[in-house]
Amino acid sequence: MSAQDKVTIHKLPTGVPGLDEIVGGGLPEFSFNIIAGAPGSGKTTLAHQFVFANATPERPALYFTVLGESAIKMLRYQQQYTFFDPAKLPGSIRFINLSQIVLEKDLGSVLEQITREVEKANPAVVVVDSFRTMVRRPQSDMDLQSFIQRLALFLASWQATTFLIGEYSEEELRDNPIFTVADGLFWLRQTAERNSIVRKLQIIKLRGQASVPGLHTFRITDAGMQAFSRTFGLSGHRRVSPGETRLSFGIPELDKMLGGGIREGDSVLVAGPSGTGKSVLATQFIAEGVRQGESGIVAVFEERPQAYAERAATLGLDLETPQKNGKLEILYLRPLDLSVDETMHSILDAVHKIGAKRLVIDSLAGFEMALSPGFRADFRESLYRMIFALTGIGVTILSTVEVDESFTEFPFSTYSISFLTDDIIRLRYVSIGDQLRKIMVVIKMRGGNHAKEIREYEITSEGVVILGKRLTDYHGLISGLPVHTDPSEPK
Amino acid sequence: MTIPPKMRDLAECLLTYEAIAGNAPEPTESATLRVYDKLRQSLGTFAGSAGFQVLASRALVLARSEAPSLSTAQVTADGTLQGLNERDPQIEMDKDRAAENQAGEGEVILIARILGLLLTFLGEALTLSLLRDAWPGAAFDDRNSGNGRKA
Repeated sequence: MSAQDKVTIHKLPTGVPGLDEIVGGGLPEFSFNIIAGAPGSGKTTLAHQFVFANATPERPALYFTVLGESAIKMLRYQQQYTFFDPAKLPGSIRFINLSQIVLEKDLGSVLEQITREVEKANPAVVVVDSFRTMVRRPQSDMDLQSFIQRLALFLASWQATTFLIGEYSEEELRDNPIFTVADGLFWLRQTAERNSIVRKLQIIKLRGQASVPGLHTFRITDAGMQAFSRTFGLSGHRRVSPGETRLSFGIPELDKMLGGGIREGDSVLVAGPSGTGKSVLATQFIAEGVRQGESGIVAVFEERPQAYAERAATLGLDLETPQKNGKLEILYLRPLDLSVDETMHSILDAVHKIGAKRLVIDSLAGFEMALSPGFRADFRESLYRMIFALTGIGVTILSTVEVDESFTEFPFSTYSISFLTDDIIRLRYVSIGDQLRKIMVVIKMRGGNHAKEIREYEITSEGVVILGKRLTDYHGLISGLPVHTDPSEPK
Repeated sequence: MTIPPKMRDLAECLLTYEAIAGNAPEPTESATLRVYDKLRQSLGTFAGSAGFQVLASRALVLARSEAPSLSTAQVTADGTLQGLNERDPQIEMDKDRAAENQAGEGEVILIARILGLLLTFLGEALTLSLLRDAWPGAAFDDRNSGNGRKA
């Protein structure tokens, strides 16, 4: 059978930002779906977003409520979301309460009532909330199976896309016939991780198309549910190969050490102990980009954007004007219950919005702290996904990381992530004479040659300034306790 | 808790509408009961008869404190209204005439109380949407203030 002979399954928008990509482009039309999860997991909100995105006066949505949350209270709360359009009620979205018939009659009567309403309204979408309470009375397996089969068959034949909402536990997955009949199974979870709450959704099953596997985080805000795909919304994107263009730091000596600058599309790690100027270097990198007409993003976790811009101003770097001109975004991300996927979403939004070429993450330690505890355990893996995705769209990333100063070791990072980075610049203190001075060295550059020498630098009112004279008279500089090799020279 | 003027105006509007609609054939029940029953059917569909029954019961309790003439009225288990004075409210009457007809005034208050509860729980936009659905021929849109009264 050729592709053109196959039936086309239309995909409906889910109404949930980020979810269309997770389900493979949209929800299959006429599918029979289950939304399962514990109370408070967002089941009703998800159904409402789908309903508001798809219901029209010609093909309305029928929303059957059963026992549980009353329709009046449901509408009272749901209308607080920005997606809720009261003008769609009751013309495009019709709420029908089935409590009485469920309480007083059997499943056959319930099916008859649903059939009557569907035949009358010709809906595009049907929701039963909660389906669990509809079949709460003891039924024989045959009765229940028959009811579900007939309901699914009827609704599909009437060309309705259906959601049954229920508070199911995962133990029921094997035995409950409803999961066998369903075309799509959306499982919503809400778990406490120490003091943070993390919401995740999983598409356990979706017939007819490939969904993105795994657990995807989501958040419920005033705008309703927003899902964050593990693929960061980049499914199908072609990976951009690193170019030959070199990006300048605006520090000529450092650019020289880097063989002309950072290769575009690289991931750079600037590592060093506290006070060695990691953030200063990062700020100079982003400011130089803006100066050259390249938009940039700074993701900060340890200070507010205003403070970050003010600190840059003390170095003579203007970050206010490019922010106003749409050439720079300083993202402050510190809710303490973030997922990497959500952070990535904010960054990608900004990348798309201003066409950013440079990204600074200042710092990885702050980023890790902003994550929910459960995500910190996967930080290395998450960073890998994030860096791979961002460099894949051509963004050059500079991350700062604090390392403990040691006089016996020379670590590049506390996260063992050096393999994730293309380039590493290491800063450190050295004790020379009665002074604590600073040195930097380019440890690695994946894309080409770099200077091997260790250079001394200072942080001045103009930022990082690499000193002209090399410390050639010292041995063991990277130990932090160098030995002077020419006793005739003053130490 | 007083009735929002807008809800009172809206109640009068509905009662007027039904009074006029009931003039053509011989009306079998009062405009008040017709308004009440339309609300019962409309709200019962989406909130369930039990949902409407408790809402109407609450409205009746609130209305009785302002209109003793409603003391004999009752909301039954299925949400229907019984024991109401059957006289048609002369809702186009002015305030003086309203004072002369306490039963009519009580009925206006009862309907206004039901609408007031809807306003409290659902907000104005949804309340008006539901009313437009139940009374497709009536116009509510230009009732922007408590003083605005539909001619």
